Amino acid sequence: MTLSRRGFLNGAALGTACTFASDMTRLDLLRQSSWADEVKKQGKRVILLWLAGGASQLETFDPKPGRPTGGPYRAIPTSATGVHISELLPKMAARIQQTTAIVRSLNTKNADHGGGATIMETGRIKDPGIEYPDLGAICAKELGRLDSAVPDYVSMYTSTEGRRKGTSGFLGSRYAPMFLSESMQPENIRRLESVSDLDHQDRLALRDLLAKKFTQNRHSDSLGSHTQAYQRVRGLMASEKLFDIEQESAEMRAKYGPTQFGQQCLIARRLVEAGVPFVKVARAWWDSHGENFETHRELCADLDHSMSVLLDDLKDRGLLEHTLVLTFGEFGRTPGINASLGRDHFAAAWSATLSGCGVRGGACYGKTDEDGHKVADGEVGAGDLFATILSALGVDPRKEYMVGARPIPLSDFGAKPIKDVLI
Amino acid sequence: MRWFPRIHLAALWLLSTVVSASSAELPSADLPIEQVIDQLAQQRLEAEKVTAAPQADDANLVRRLMLDVAGRIPTSDEAKQYVANPSAAKRAELVDRLLASPDFIWHQRNELDRMLLPNKPNDGEFRKYLLWAVKENRSWEAMFRDMLVGDEADENRKPALTFIKSRARELDDMLNDTAILFFGVNVTCAKCHDHPLTPEWKQHHYFGMASFFSRTYVTKKNLLAERPFGEVKFKSKRKDDTKGEQTAKFEFLTGAVIDEPAVERSADDIKKIEETIKAAMQKDDAPPPEKPAFSPREKLVEVALRAEDNRFFARNIVNRIWDRFFGRGLVHPVDQLHAANAPSHPELLEWLTRDMVAHGYDLKRLIRGIVLSQAYSRSSEWATGALPPDPALFAVAKVKPLTPRQYALALLIARQSPDQWPSLDKPEEWVVRREQLENGSNGYASFFEMPGENFQVAVDEALLFSNSKRIEDELLRDLKTEIVGYLKSLPDNAAVIEAAYQTICSRPPRDEERAAIDGYFQSHSADRVAAIRQVVWALLTGPEMRFSY
Repeated sequence: MTLSRRGFLNGAALGTACTFASDMTRLDLLRQSSWADEVKKQGKRVILLWLAGGASQLETFDPKPGRPTGGPYRAIPTSATGVHISELLPKMAARIQQTTAIVRSLNTKNADHGGGATIMETGRIKDPGIEYPDLGAICAKELGRLDSAVPDYVSMYTSTEGRRKGTSGFLGSRYAPMFLSESMQPENIRRLESVSDLDHQDRLALRDLLAKKFTQNRHSDSLGSHTQAYQRVRGLMASEKLFDIEQESAEMRAKYGPTQFGQQCLIARRLVEAGVPFVKVARAWWDSHGENFETHRELCADLDHSMSVLLDDLKDRGLLEHTLVLTFGEFGRTPGINASLGRDHFAAAWSATLSGCGVRGGACYGKTDEDGHKVADGEVGAGDLFATILSALGVDPRKEYMVGARPIPLSDFGAKPIKDVLI
Repeated sequence: MRWFPRIHLAALWLLSTVVSASSAELPSADLPIEQVIDQLAQQRLEAEKVTAAPQADDANLVRRLMLDVAGRIPTSDEAKQYVANPSAAKRAELVDRLLASPDFIWHQRNELDRMLLPNKPNDGEFRKYLLWAVKENRSWEAMFRDMLVGDEADENRKPALTFIKSRARELDDMLNDTAILFFGVNVTCAKCHDHPLTPEWKQHHYFGMASFFSRTYVTKKNLLAERPFGEVKFKSKRKDDTKGEQTAKFEFLTGAVIDEPAVERSADDIKKIEETIKAAMQKDDAPPPEKPAFSPREKLVEVALRAEDNRFFARNIVNRIWDRFFGRGLVHPVDQLHAANAPSHPELLEWLTRDMVAHGYDLKRLIRGIVLSQAYSRSSEWATGALPPDPALFAVAKVKPLTPRQYALALLIARQSPDQWPSLDKPEEWVVRREQLENGSNGYASFFEMPGENFQVAVDEALLFSNSKRIEDELLRDLKTEIVGYLKSLPDNAAVIEAAYQTICSRPPRDEERAAIDGYFQSHSADRVAAIRQVVWALLTGPEMRFSY
């Protein structure tokens, strides 16, 4: 035990110091191969690849080749018999059967960026008088540990997206995302150079010691969360290296490639491997009102590559069966092509994918009509998608939170999981 | 209309009118508020055989009072002087001084702001209105009217309309927020679940309330306006429904219905009016629309305030003010004033409501009564070893997280060298300082979460205090005018410890705290300033700073 070598508080600081030490030991385990097994036992993880701005279902998972709405790209067969996706996603096409289920019949009804994003983040329509938590906060609560030494909800920025931070709503700030707004590193996770590491630890231990008398006879959950927040500081600081891809071999970094999205996917893998239950990586900006086909050629290449490397890597590490990888954004895009060769906002018939944990690979649920204007079969809403996601994670979507006197189920009232895409 | 909610019928205790509610059994209306609070709180404690926590000590009380009434912690001198004052009347004197001070005006403004515009923090115009209204000690009734009906031509009152304007895009926002904030009723609560205990509120109640807002719109020039006609239609979702589509009446929560005088309009008139409205909504240079002869919002205010229907409005504000000071409403949660959720102290709520109405909705009067009560000044410690009793008994004070503004002000006051404040006999200097503090607190206030129900401190906050340069640079500077520099100038560690506690925690240190910090200094003697910084940091980040207790 080196942490209390000056011994200023002797026994008093010991308990705290032990906590720090054990946290860091746990993180050190990352380097050992047994960590993947540990994660398996501990629980499920989610990586949400958020396609900010709204990706076109026609250029991704629900192509309409040869139709007036189809655009210039072909559809290609996938490893799942009878399932075709856009030729812009050749790497994913080779992995559909093994990893991925497609839902082609989303009708989420709101084609406004803000409103659509709220629906797809929380799985329900905004209600006055109540702030709903988003999927990340729900997963942080359901899959995380209260005293977790790692963050339990990390949300990564993109340089062009509208910086939607995410919200923990009525679940409270404990489940708010650690939001990476400006760089690949979370804010305030690194010690200032002007404070030595020892002083940093010592003052925290002094703080805890002085606080103890105050908290002892006062019964309050809010007070408890304050104590806990400070107790998590050192552990979270130790997780700094999780955000550092230099810790990975050159070979691994090369696999993910040089794009920001690819690098963030690699960080996401490092995070879930260390036990972070929910990571959101946003890729922007799919809002192709003009030049839809150029935009999608570029963005789909990045998505196709990063997503398939991520799925392969998770699989190689034995993490995929415990990690659910999702793709969707606030909505899809119109089948109709406008005068600027763009597609506009469209929420009436679009697609999402689920890969990995709890998912029946190769399943393709729902159908849109010939030209993609409407859902022809198996219409589902955001609530149903959320119920499916939670079910895949082994969480009961009908479980209720009590908000004051109101019972609020995890996924919207009446939502049903899509059984066909679940194992 | 998106859904067809059913709402709890406000049941018997709500249906009783304010005055008739067993008023014969209520304590006399002439008694001081604090005495009635204590009498009725004590009755309930005795009935439950619970002994309340002892009264908080003076140092604790002055800090709590300052945070609750002035929105800030006391300076070192203010706290010391209060504790040293031998007068039996010192508490009432302090409360009266604070209620008359600019501190109260700022704080009351901030509290009303966060209650009324929670999703639009720091709206400059609205805050200006609130500041004006609080300065005038404007009655809650008048403020309600300012916000719902208002007067676009009155410079002072005009910005109050932001309350409706900022919600005018969505009928549900206007309706629900008004119902929640002014009447204590959350109409969305039975959207999907039937309440097992409460008779249901029928659809026509919900749509009746909606009809008061359905004609409201905002013009292109941001003027609040109402259409002269327009009805809310709804259909029952019940399978056995035979009525088909119905037209909602102007129906208040109490069941009171307002009739609209019939007006004959030709199709041409209607078309003309529609065109004027369309122009007003789309064009900057369109003339302001004419005020209709029948204004549903005006009628809502009228009915909500009249003696036979004012129980929702009056009880709600009493309950909300109580909740602010006790950390829990007499009816809890505060937006659930319905039958299945009876008040913890029904007579007390009735008495306070009667008092509120009788004294013209004077919020300051209720605040004064609350903070002078013994129920308010109990200790927040429950040291018996057993779990604390039902919080609805108010047997022990609740630990309340500070609002972002309170915390920001507390940090700015604690960081200051205690010899930098105006002397206590120069209140006029404090007026200037307080305004500076208020403005200076904006930055820090933006870092923290607004506490709500089940509030938790985010780990981001702990990381901010632990590792941000801003905290290091702004709160822990070695300057003579600030706490670290001041402590450094003191002759010995004992003096440093005394002054640090008095400045940051508004009280002298306890023996074990002296010993702990003295030990810290001894083991960190190589760099005295660094050690002082660390001690100040440990106190600034402590729970005593983060919460009102």
